Amino acid sequence: MKSPDHQSLEEQFRLVSRYVAGDLSRSERAEFEAWLVASPELAAEVEMERRLRRGIASAARRGWLRRGVLRPAAHHHRWHVALAASVLVALAIGVSMKLPRGGVEGVADSHTRLEPERILLAARTVRLGSVRGVSTSPDIIVARNESPSSLTIEPDVVTLTCEDGSIELECPGGAPAQTPQYPEYEMELVKRGGGSVAWRSSSQLASARSPLSFTIADPGSLGVADYDLVVRGRSAEHEEVVARFWLRID
Amino acid sequence: MTAPPADEIERIVARALTGDRQAETRMLVALRPGVLAVLRFGAFYRWIDAEDLTQETLQIVVERVRARTLEDPRRVFAFAATTARNLALNAARKMLRQQTVVDSELVDELAQNLEMEQSELTDSDDRQLAEAVVSLLETLPTLRDRQLLMRFYMDGIDKQELCRELGLSPKHFDRVLMRARSRLRTIIERRAPHLALFPRITSILVALGMTFTFWVRHFGSW
Repeated sequence: MKSPDHQSLEEQFRLVSRYVAGDLSRSERAEFEAWLVASPELAAEVEMERRLRRGIASAARRGWLRRGVLRPAAHHHRWHVALAASVLVALAIGVSMKLPRGGVEGVADSHTRLEPERILLAARTVRLGSVRGVSTSPDIIVARNESPSSLTIEPDVVTLTCEDGSIELECPGGAPAQTPQYPEYEMELVKRGGGSVAWRSSSQLASARSPLSFTIADPGSLGVADYDLVVRGRSAEHEEVVARFWLRID
Repeated sequence: MTAPPADEIERIVARALTGDRQAETRMLVALRPGVLAVLRFGAFYRWIDAEDLTQETLQIVVERVRARTLEDPRRVFAFAATTARNLALNAARKMLRQQTVVDSELVDELAQNLEMEQSELTDSDDRQLAEAVVSLLETLPTLRDRQLLMRFYMDGIDKQELCRELGLSPKHFDRVLMRARSRLRTIIERRAPHLALFPRITSILVALGMTFTFWVRHFGSW
């Protein structure tokens, strides 16, 4: 670690994003973490990077950032801000009517220029077996420009046990196994290649009668990449990854 | 109380290394946010109690400082970071042994990928954070900065590609990210200050408590 002069600290500030993304090499990380201990400013910066990532993911999940159109919750604005905004909008409309077409660029316009328009199709449901195939192709493929409005995944991954928790073909008294191995399950979408957790479901209660069902709203808003769909079973004392599938957004 | 800058912390640690007990207390206060950060932002966050391990790390650091086996403040920083990471790794190993996560490749990957996770955030915090980010994007001065953030964080496009696409130098790219974080901090501090700060008062109290414990253990009285 170099002497904590301003320039060396600034060098570390540039690494914040890579550190949070887990992209630093072992030696870079060791040096960065020594700086982290020495500099609360750097620690605060890392904290903010995480907040930024989390905030963007959350806003995207809520549909506020779709294709760059910013749509925050309406209740957040105070009435006087709304009034001021209305006046500005009225002025902007007035001005824009005087301008030639294409003369004013908004966030949404710029994004539609960067990427082709997406077509939202009807919701899609996919049932996945408990045993993943040995093929080298993804279990689910979603084309980003023709993505469903929502993707519901129903993985058949709940192992049924006897009441005492044993996994038997036939339980005492000849009854079939009917108790889910874990009371709760959840699904995570993990971007491959050092990426981040792109989506996580809420916990879902398992039932012997109906399959698990996890719905990802607007899967097309996820970045083009390969993702692991990780299903985890959870009880009060125990947690286990029970299945892993492959989702490709292209 | 604002945290001292890095060079001031180095001076505090240097004084602690000479046996100055007052400086030792200040050192514990000053190092705590950084050690906590290493633990909270490290790969094993999911499986550890960061507060507990911060305590443990600082105890080990104080013992080493008192034993005079570390001579340079910068070695103290590196030692603290390594100790924190090793303790986290051990805690995570212990936790995973108790579970049946047997796919080691998956465990590593999850450990890396779960860095973003912050389970301490409530739904309401999560929403406030999302609103703050939307405000941030709205207030960015140029369209290009907005594009950069959206494509980098949402679409996962890498820095090099984005720099090429938007005609930016890597330095400019870093500046945009740093400015964005700074603006986000301002917005959060105004709207939801609890999301912006380390629990500073806690760190002071804990450090004082630790010093008290050490004094009593080593000298029999305060």
